[in-house]
Parts: sequence; C-alpha cells; structure tokens
Amino acid sequence: MRARYSLYWFTLPALAVIGLFFIHPIVLTFDMSLTSFKGIGEAKEVGWRNYERIFSRERYLREIWLTLWYTVIVVSALTVTGLFFAAMLHRLPLIRNFSRAALYTPAMMSFVVVGYVWQFLYSPLNGGINVALRDLGLGAFEQNWLGDPALALYSVAFTQIWMFTGFTCAIFLAGFAGIPEEIGEAGRLEGATSWQRFRYLELPLLGPSITVSVMLTTIGTLKTFELPFILTKGGPDGATRLLSIDIIDNLFGQYKFGFASALSIVMLVIVLGVAFLQNKVLRDRENAS
Amino acid sequence: MSLSDAQTATRAGTGPDWDLLRRRGKSLLVHGVVLALVAIMLLPLVYMVMMSFKTSTEIAQDPLGLPDSLYWGNYMAALSSMGYVRSVLNSMGITISVIVVVVFAGAMAAYPLARLQNRISRLIVMVMALGLATPNFVTITPIYVIFRDLGLLDSYLGIVLAFAALKLPLAVFFYTSFIAAIPIELEEAARLDNCNNWQIFWHVIRPLLAPVTATLSLFVMIMVWNDFIYPLLLLTDKDKLTVMIAVYKFVGNTGIDPTKLFPAAVLGSLPLLIMFAVFQRKIMAGATAGAVK
Repeated sequence: MRARYSLYWFTLPALAVIGLFFIHPIVLTFDMSLTSFKGIGEAKEVGWRNYERIFSRERYLREIWLTLWYTVIVVSALTVTGLFFAAMLHRLPLIRNFSRAALYTPAMMSFVVVGYVWQFLYSPLNGGINVALRDLGLGAFEQNWLGDPALALYSVAFTQIWMFTGFTCAIFLAGFAGIPEEIGEAGRLEGATSWQRFRYLELPLLGPSITVSVMLTTIGTLKTFELPFILTKGGPDGATRLLSIDIIDNLFGQYKFGFASALSIVMLVIVLGVAFLQNKVLRDRENAS
Repeated sequence: MSLSDAQTATRAGTGPDWDLLRRRGKSLLVHGVVLALVAIMLLPLVYMVMMSFKTSTEIAQDPLGLPDSLYWGNYMAALSSMGYVRSVLNSMGITISVIVVVVFAGAMAAYPLARLQNRISRLIVMVMALGLATPNFVTITPIYVIFRDLGLLDSYLGIVLAFAALKLPLAVFFYTSFIAAIPIELEEAARLDNCNNWQIFWHVIRPLLAPVTATLSLFVMIMVWNDFIYPLLLLTDKDKLTVMIAVYKFVGNTGIDPTKLFPAAVLGSLPLLIMFAVFQRKIMAGATAGAVK
C-alpha cells in the first residue's frame, strides 16, 4: 500500500503551481479583504467593515443583482438558441457540420475583438445595426443601443448570446447524436410532426445535455468582465456595472485593494454557491426522471 | 423504408408524384431558411472584414456598403504601429510555455487521481473544480501584489506561471478521465517487470496521451491567446505585450477610430481563425467531449 500512496508525489508540480498562484492568492484575498490596504504602505486591519459596506449600500446590492440577472438572461437565451439550431441541424445532415462550425466561429474570438466590433455595430449614428434598420425602412426601431440605460444591459447580453450560441448548439448536437435512431423513427411512423417529436420524444432525452450546457454557461457568464468593460465601461448610469467591473475599477482605478478584495470574496461565494445549487438541483431532477 | 415512402411508391405509377414534390420543396425551403439564419449569425464577422478594407470617407458616407476597392492602407497603418509581429511572437511563446507546463504537470497529477480513489484524490479533485469555477479577477489582486514583491511583474516567467495555475485544473480533468479509461493490465505487466511508478508513467502511460494532449493544447492556446485581464495587468513593457493587449492599446477605449479598430480586430483574430479552420474537427470534438464528461 505504501507504494500506491507514493503515487501522490506525481501531483506535486501541479499542486505547487496551483498552491502558489491560486490557493495562496485566495487566502491573501481574504486577508486583504479585512484591511484598508491601498496597494502600498501598511495594511490597516478594519475587520468586517468592507463587507458591512458592501451589504449596507444599495449600490453594491444592485451590482450583485445585475450580475445574477445578466446571467439568467444570457443562460436562458443560450439554451433556447442552442436548442433551436441543434434541433434544426439534427434534421438536416447535409448542412450540419458546416453550420455547426460556422456558428462556433464567434466563440473562437476574444472578448476584446468581439466587444470592439459590436461597439461599432451598436453605435447610434453610423453603426451597422441602425444603418441596416434605416435601409430596411425600419428607421422607427433605431435605438441608442448602448447609451440607453434601459437597453444597454440587454445589448451587452445579446452580444454574449451571439458569441456562444455555437457553443451550446455543439453541446446539444452531441446530445441529439446520442438519441437512438429508432425513437425518431417511431415518432415518424406514428405521424408525429417535427415539433411533436422534438417536444415529446427528444427534449426529455436531452436532460443531461441541458444540465451540462446550463452549468457551463452559468459559470462562464457569471465571470463576464471584458464585454461590458469594452462595450460600456459599466455605463450608462451604472446600467451595466456588473460586480466584476467594480472589482477592477476599485483595484486599478482607485487602488482600493482591500475593498476590491472584499468584493472578490463576495463574487467567489456567489459563483461557488450558484454552481453548487445548480449541480444539486439539476442532477437531482435528472436522477428523479 | 418508412410507411409514407411505401405509399408514394404505390402511387408513383398514377401521374406526377405531388407528395414527393411537396416534401422535396419543403425540405429545400427548410435548408434555405436554416442556412440563411446561420448566415445572419455570421454577418458581424463579414461586417468586420468588410469595414477593415474601407477608407474613412467610405465609412462615413456609406457605412454598410461594400468598399469600392480593397484598400490596404488601414492594414499598413495597423501593422506599422501596433507592434503586431512582436505581439504574435510573444503570444506564441507564452502559449507554448504554458502548454508545456500544463501538459507535464497536468498529466502527472492526473495519473494518481485516475488510479487511486480515496479521500486524498477527492480533495485534490475538489480543489481543481474550485479552480475551474473561480473567475480570474478574483485572484488578480493578490497575484499582482505577489508578483510585485517577487519581481515577477512584467516578466514572461510570471505570466506563464499565472496562466498555468489558471489552466491546470482543466488539464487535470482532461487527463484524469482519459487515463482512467486506460486498462490497468498494461501497467501490471510493466510492474511485473520491476518498473517503478515513474517508469510506468513515462513508458506506458505517457505515449498513450497524444490525442488528449493535442486537444488540450488547442484549448489552452485559445484561452491564452484570447485572455485579457492577466496580460493587461501583469505586463506593461510594450515589447512583451500579447496580441489582444496590442489590439487594445492600439484601438484604445475612447473615441474609437474604425480605420484602426477593424484591421486590428481582423489581425488579432486571424491566427486563431486559421487554426480553427485547420483543426476544426479536433476542436469541435474536444468542446463537446469536455462538456459531456
């Protein structure tokens, strides 16, 4: 048995790197979150005051809410768009592989590039979307997509949905591929329409794919930082000021390392809490059915 | 043969087969509609490429029209002042170093985790899961402070280690599920020949890991190439910038100039898009394989 345990020496390099540059930083973040550290000089202990400030000001509660709401919008939309394209492409083998790769292409690009291109698409005067609407005779629908506080969050979300539809579509296509051929065939023989087959035969069998897709996109979306950073900088009027934007702003805009650390810990707890809850709820539902 | 096919077959002798024609037409229509939707999804990319070839007057006067001719001036300007070639080399060098660290440390760590199921393995796997879920801006504050104190700010070594810590959990998950599927009999034969753990890992396990290493490398490359926060905050020397930071510094964040934005966006994405075109199957397979596990 001693020989078996000696295998754990193999984990040493990985654990060293992760310990030094991941675990150690998290512990430090927590330590710093209890201080008013400004980046240089002495770090003054302030106890839980940073956390008290976060939970007593409406501003931070709003940012937490905004982060969660943004995630709900993006994840639900991605599930629907991915399912739609996957259900269609599953029935169209001729164009399946090409379309899957084409839809996945935006996910290969960086948030920075996507953010820039969409910032220009959204721009009020000469932006691609408003000009296209005007050319199509739909000038009445022109909007200040990123400048209107009521719209900005949805515009940012739309960009993210555009980016990752190919990702969820690929996951669902893999799920469809795992459904036995006979099931669709049986449905066809019974005279079920395409929609009925999707709704009553395929969708219930896609449970595991939906679980995976929702969990991956939730974690990914909660981490959103770059898109609003490039597109709106958190504006207008704080409409897209996600928690992540405030963390970086406190850190490198104002050098409030202590307070940024407290926000980071709150963020970490939210991400882990959501991941844990989702894992439990979705897996339980899967096991029940 | 399905029932409806059989029905059309019996009716086929009695004049034009309207049912078949109707189904053919419907199928054509559905293909057309879905392809059109896919094309719409690609429009922003078409827009990006098209805009990069327009002069500033063309952009102002006809924002959506095709350029009169392929105007390369924007690219010339971007190439000469954004430090593109240097930044591509930096990104490639950093990517390759991260891949080397992640592949070696990841495969080694995965071996015991795949073979020993006990509390220690579960604990290590939990730490890795924590690593996968943690947003990188949560750890960036202390990493910045640690790097400053160790003199690792603005160094290739620092950014490589920071990226490696970020991507190692993924590598460990990839390798663990792969190694777990390797029959243990292979190892037992080697153990009878008095091979030690390291020899078994190196001579029996490692040679089998090539396919998963290839997929993993592609994923690490995509993530490192596109990452923004780490290089933005940890590198400032303009000779060490990665591609995305070069794009960001070149375009700026206020009063954006489209003749700079679009060529920089194309140049920034081009290497990965070429990679995607070449390794499309491998990347798509990896994306879903990683998801299904």
